[in-house]
Amino acid sequence: MRGLAMQPERLYETWADRKEAAQSYLEAVNWPNGQTEAWKFTSLSHLSDVVLNPPKQSASIARAARLHGEVLNFTAGLAPDLAAASLPADIIATDISADKAICHKAFALLPDNHHLTALSASRQTAAVKIEVVNSAKIDTPLILQFTDGKTDEASHPFVFIDIADGAHLHLAELYEGTSSLSQPLILVRLGQGSTLDHIKLQDEADHTTHLGLTLFRLHGQANVNSFSVSKGSQITRMETHCFFAAPDAQAAISAVYLGCDNQHHDITTVVSHEYADCKSRQLIRGVLDDKARGVFQGRVRVAPDAQRTDGQQMSRALLLSRDAEADAKPELEIFADDVVCSHGATVGELDETLLFYLKSRGIDEAEARTMLIDAFLVDTLEEISYQPFANFLRGQVSGWTARQTGVE
Amino acid sequence: MSLLEIKNLHARIGDTEILHGIDLKIDRGEVHAIMGPNGSGKSTLSYVLSGRDGYEVTEGDILLDGESVLEMEADERARAGMFLAFQYPVELPGVGGMAFLRAAVNARLREAGKDEVDQLEFVKMVRAEAKELGIKDDMLKRPVNVGFSGGEKKRYEILQMALLKPSLAVLDETDSGLDVDALKIVSEGVNLLRSAERGMLVITHYQRLLNHIVPDQVHILAGGRIVKSGDKTLALEVEENGYAGLGDAA
Repeated sequence: MRGLAMQPERLYETWADRKEAAQSYLEAVNWPNGQTEAWKFTSLSHLSDVVLNPPKQSASIARAARLHGEVLNFTAGLAPDLAAASLPADIIATDISADKAICHKAFALLPDNHHLTALSASRQTAAVKIEVVNSAKIDTPLILQFTDGKTDEASHPFVFIDIADGAHLHLAELYEGTSSLSQPLILVRLGQGSTLDHIKLQDEADHTTHLGLTLFRLHGQANVNSFSVSKGSQITRMETHCFFAAPDAQAAISAVYLGCDNQHHDITTVVSHEYADCKSRQLIRGVLDDKARGVFQGRVRVAPDAQRTDGQQMSRALLLSRDAEADAKPELEIFADDVVCSHGATVGELDETLLFYLKSRGIDEAEARTMLIDAFLVDTLEEISYQPFANFLRGQVSGWTARQTGVE
Repeated sequence: MSLLEIKNLHARIGDTEILHGIDLKIDRGEVHAIMGPNGSGKSTLSYVLSGRDGYEVTEGDILLDGESVLEMEADERARAGMFLAFQYPVELPGVGGMAFLRAAVNARLREAGKDEVDQLEFVKMVRAEAKELGIKDDMLKRPVNVGFSGGEKKRYEILQMALLKPSLAVLDETDSGLDVDALKIVSEGVNLLRSAERGMLVITHYQRLLNHIVPDQVHILAGGRIVKSGDKTLALEVEENGYAGLGDAA
């Protein structure tokens, strides 16, 4: 088996075939409960005895975003009102929920036998295609915002973003929903020489389960700079995949997870180097307080022909409480011989010596802890290349730290 | 009233008692030196004074301006006017130097019921003090102590002291790791901060530091007790004869 079956497969003739296969997959697997390797640390068994319905809302409602940009609002997982959206001329958004041929083609670019893609194929609540055309450099960020939802509802929106050769886009995914389950699937195809600045913020309501998958498919010389922050929800599985579909492309996909109470944050990445001369870089940092649990699973696959691959991965977790727990599972599958790949994972606590140094200068415990936690995260946030995104996420992260330490 | 009064101080780390009854008074304007061999309790004394976790006072008291500090956390003691210059200042990657200095100074100002210092004004103030100590602008821009040489770290400690204006400064083995030139610069910095309003406790293993920072009184610490006190000539005596004879006197 090749990796997570990332290569386009042709098992299904039609969307109906695919959907049927997805449904039988889900019936066979049910909800993962720690038995399979891919879901070793994250169990979804709590979902097996609840009945969740599609959103009852009739249409999406517009909501302002916390970040400047053109907003497409997915209310309770439903498609936004695209006719009302004031998108730049070179961005074309289409509702493809009725056009199953497009969905079918798009899903051929996603991993098969994968719980999240199967869920999406089987239960889609929205399907939207967004094209950036004419090699356009779009200045205004495009914001996909996911809000609202009821406790007996599940939201399964699918968004396919196609960035033309040479185009540029700033894209933000903001999750603030209240449906018990939200399962967004975002597929981004980066054409030759295109660039993308991307952020994802998971800040959903406390009771929710968030199962997100964002997949970047990069063609030659394409470049993605992606940063995710997970801080909301009860149980989060946030997957970011990066598939190099041509030589000489670059991806930086970093993430921060911030856990408190009895939250569970699972950051899973899959980077597939299929062609030569591509570069991937991942910095993952987690801060866990109370009884929170953090998981990082990072797979880097280097195909036999992917010579001169540069793949870096580093994860570090900081535990603020004796009851917090962090797990890391880096996986390197390297089949080429001329590569530079590295990975590392650490788990630690705040250093008492450093705390004492700050306190001996008159800085109180809460402020000293805040300074050290922010210091732990600061270099990771410097990975974000687009400053408005960096400032926004820095504010989200320091707000969380201040609340945990009581400085606020 | 003395600035600092240590009364029959007993302290332990875990189950091991390190200080076995120390008495010491320091008045404003005075510089006292504590000398002692390795393992005599010098560093323990500096940590107990500054309130480090893990050091437990089992008997006696520490009074700053007549008030006991035993119930105070390290940060409260600092805001009450105590300052510890570390033997080994720690590196704080990711903590910007200016932000750190400003947080410390503002904590002190808030305690005194004063307004926090304006950012631009603060930068000017720091630059002026830094210049006196031969600290380059580049050092001020770096994270705290990261990539500093041993001498630079010690100078940075003295810079903090200059900015925080403590009433009592405890200098823990400030000479360790310094070459002659660095020792001179750091000592000059300390001497500039001597004032009628401030007391200092200089902890050192070697007499050479006391050639540069000349103390009013010298105390010999051995086996967790002060075994002898005298004027600056006592330090020379130690230099001449070593600690051995003095330890026996206890």
